[in-house]
Amino acid sequence: MIDALIHALPHVFAPANLLAVVIGSVAGLVVGALPGLTVTTGIAILIPITFGLDPLFALGMMAGMYNAGSYGGAIPAILMRVPGTPASVATILDGYEMTKRGEAAYALQVAVVSGVIGSALSAVALILFAPPLVKVSLLFGPAEYFWLAMLGLATISALLGDDLVKGVTASLIGLLIGTVGQDLTSGTERFTFGSLELMDGFSIVVLLTGLFALPPVFQMAEESIKEGMSAAALKFRKQRSVLREWRYFLPVWLRSSAIGVFIGIMPGAAGSMSSFLAYNDAKRVARSPETFGQGNPEGVAASEAGNGADNAAALIPALSLGIPGSGVAAVILGGLLVHGLRPGPQLFRDHPDVVYGFMLQMLLSAFLLLVVGGLAATRIFGQVLRLPRVVLAPLIILFVAIGVYAVNNAMFDLYILVGVGLVAYVMEKLGYPQAPVVLGLILGPMAESQLRLSLTISQGNPAVLVSSWVSIIIALLTALVLVTPLYRAWRERQRKPAAA
Amino acid sequence: MKRVFRAGVMGVVAAVALSGSALAADYPTKPIEMIVAFAPGGGTDVAARSIASFMEKHLGGGARIAVINKPGAGGEIGWTAVAQAKPDGYTIGFINVPAINALVVEGKAKFKMDDFQPIANLVYDPGVLVVGKNSPYQSVKDLVEAAKAKPGSIAIGTSGAVGSSEHITILNFERLADVKLTHAPFGGTAPVRQAVLGGHIPAATMNLSEALQLSREGEIRVIGVMSEGRSDYLKDAPTFREQGYDVVAGSSRGIAAPKGIPADIVAKLEAAVDKALNDPEYLEAAKKAEIPLHYLASGDYKAFLEKSTADLEATWKVSPWR
Repeated sequence: MIDALIHALPHVFAPANLLAVVIGSVAGLVVGALPGLTVTTGIAILIPITFGLDPLFALGMMAGMYNAGSYGGAIPAILMRVPGTPASVATILDGYEMTKRGEAAYALQVAVVSGVIGSALSAVALILFAPPLVKVSLLFGPAEYFWLAMLGLATISALLGDDLVKGVTASLIGLLIGTVGQDLTSGTERFTFGSLELMDGFSIVVLLTGLFALPPVFQMAEESIKEGMSAAALKFRKQRSVLREWRYFLPVWLRSSAIGVFIGIMPGAAGSMSSFLAYNDAKRVARSPETFGQGNPEGVAASEAGNGADNAAALIPALSLGIPGSGVAAVILGGLLVHGLRPGPQLFRDHPDVVYGFMLQMLLSAFLLLVVGGLAATRIFGQVLRLPRVVLAPLIILFVAIGVYAVNNAMFDLYILVGVGLVAYVMEKLGYPQAPVVLGLILGPMAESQLRLSLTISQGNPAVLVSSWVSIIIALLTALVLVTPLYRAWRERQRKPAAA
Repeated sequence: MKRVFRAGVMGVVAAVALSGSALAADYPTKPIEMIVAFAPGGGTDVAARSIASFMEKHLGGGARIAVINKPGAGGEIGWTAVAQAKPDGYTIGFINVPAINALVVEGKAKFKMDDFQPIANLVYDPGVLVVGKNSPYQSVKDLVEAAKAKPGSIAIGTSGAVGSSEHITILNFERLADVKLTHAPFGGTAPVRQAVLGGHIPAATMNLSEALQLSREGEIRVIGVMSEGRSDYLKDAPTFREQGYDVVAGSSRGIAAPKGIPADIVAKLEAAVDKALNDPEYLEAAKKAEIPLHYLASGDYKAFLEKSTADLEATWKVSPWR
């Protein structure tokens, strides 16, 4: 493997291939930063363009677009509270609060450095630990996925916000929306009202964009008499150095990257889960969890590191078994096939130059992100905030509409977008948090379909749910997460009478 | 001056009158939309995007083909869009047999098979039944015997939902072998493959091209191929027919247009696909990627579509999948 890596190095750093990674990164940054437009679409468009080109040139562009696109979503999330990609939703929670405090530059810096760390660690995992990690991913069958979803649902409390009732209501709304669509096991259509467009359920990208991108725009329209941010408030000059504070961020980076890599290698877990679960985890273990959601840089770091770590990891099962760990990995597989590169163990034997070259490009593009997505890009994107809101609000709506239309080329999605946007705006006015909706929406259907699959396979015998040690461990973890707060509450109560 | 004006008017009138027939001669004068009923990056999408650039080349005259993804409802949204498009040759689309026929046979689709003008078939990928490498089943017979001993105890994973083409195949197989199996729909190719490899499901169906690499590596075992003869790509794998079960199924991808499109445009598109499929550059790439190319010209494709619809109607009568 070392031989193959050394052999691949000169190809990776060949001027043309280097340029490909740079081009891909710049394009990815734009694709990621535009709400609704996703990396999946971007890479799908790249595939036919790269048809006659050298594989490493093509893959270099894809690698660049993958890592930069996944970070790009954080830019509008932090600056305008508008998520560029579904995964950047968790970045908003603290990122935008920091911008309001005038720390936009610092927040973006935290995001980019955390994204780089996450993507780089993920690429290292891809290069060094692909074989054992693939074995881990194979341990997960329907029963294990069911427990994973339950664990995710159990940790949802960290996202509920200050008002418990409103938080729980929001997560139930998410679970409810998640039931829409055709039931795979019976073929019954649920809450589709005969609409073809709803047969696969709500499109997550459309729904998330409506939930998170529109309310801030409506808010802007409300405040449209105000002027844009003054130059002084923006402060794009270096504020603090994230790199110098590495000791402070290191634990968050490591934990979040581990979570991202883990979710990345799981084909059955949605990619946008990584950033949420990483954020959840960071808040849960933080010394002062109440500062999360109020502009804690650790929140941004957790979300972006988790998000970045999902990238290369999703390629692990894709390259070694042909099983993509995420939507983007699926498109990259398509791109490999176009170049006659068939995924599987033989890919590593027959084309080591290309495979290890591509892995190195994933690593390279992670570091390139520092250059491409660093302060220069931040300053350019940041200028947008200087626009008066009368101009900015319709502009965002325009970009959001184009992006959402591009997902499925369907007018229907635009109606959903506006409808969901209005509902979300009202929710926001009434103080209901939107983040729990997302987790309910992602995890609810996963828990349900996997539970039914495992019971179908076992012919209704519930013992299948605890038939492997992986299931048992995750089930116990879930129980632990649920019981810990009860135990704490009980101890508090024990202590109080003693004090009185 | 007046004369010039009159000549101009006459010219315009003539141009308008002729445009009906001139349309086909100049075709294409604007970008052609190629509708793909699945999301970007899927098998059909990659096939469409790669053939599109070669069709552009062989249509000549700077022809442009834009691939438009209209995914959803198992392809129904995109296919409805093709069926209902203006038959002027500027909207064509990929259709997938037998998924599209199944929707028509169920009677829930907004289109009929007659609403399409077949152009050409490109790919035919036979179905296969696979088991994990540690599975006790060495042949279809082993699996049938185990299922007969304990009816319903063997679950077969598919990438679809209830009513998908793979589900229909399982129903056919159940009828022919007189066994009871359990259908476990995973809703995607990635999870079902993971489940077979990890030993979470006894057996699964997929397309041959998806099983090739894993089978050669010995990670999975192909116990039955649903084609008439053995595949050149995987000579060791026996067919269902050899083992005494007449199961022939697979999925095909081809290009169709809305019905009523001028015959000379059909011919142009057909010729472009034919030339594209014989383009050495394309052939080389297809061979490397082991794409099971299977060209059928417009007439043959139409006959193939009619036969598969008739087969599905027969199945629907005996064992409706919904």
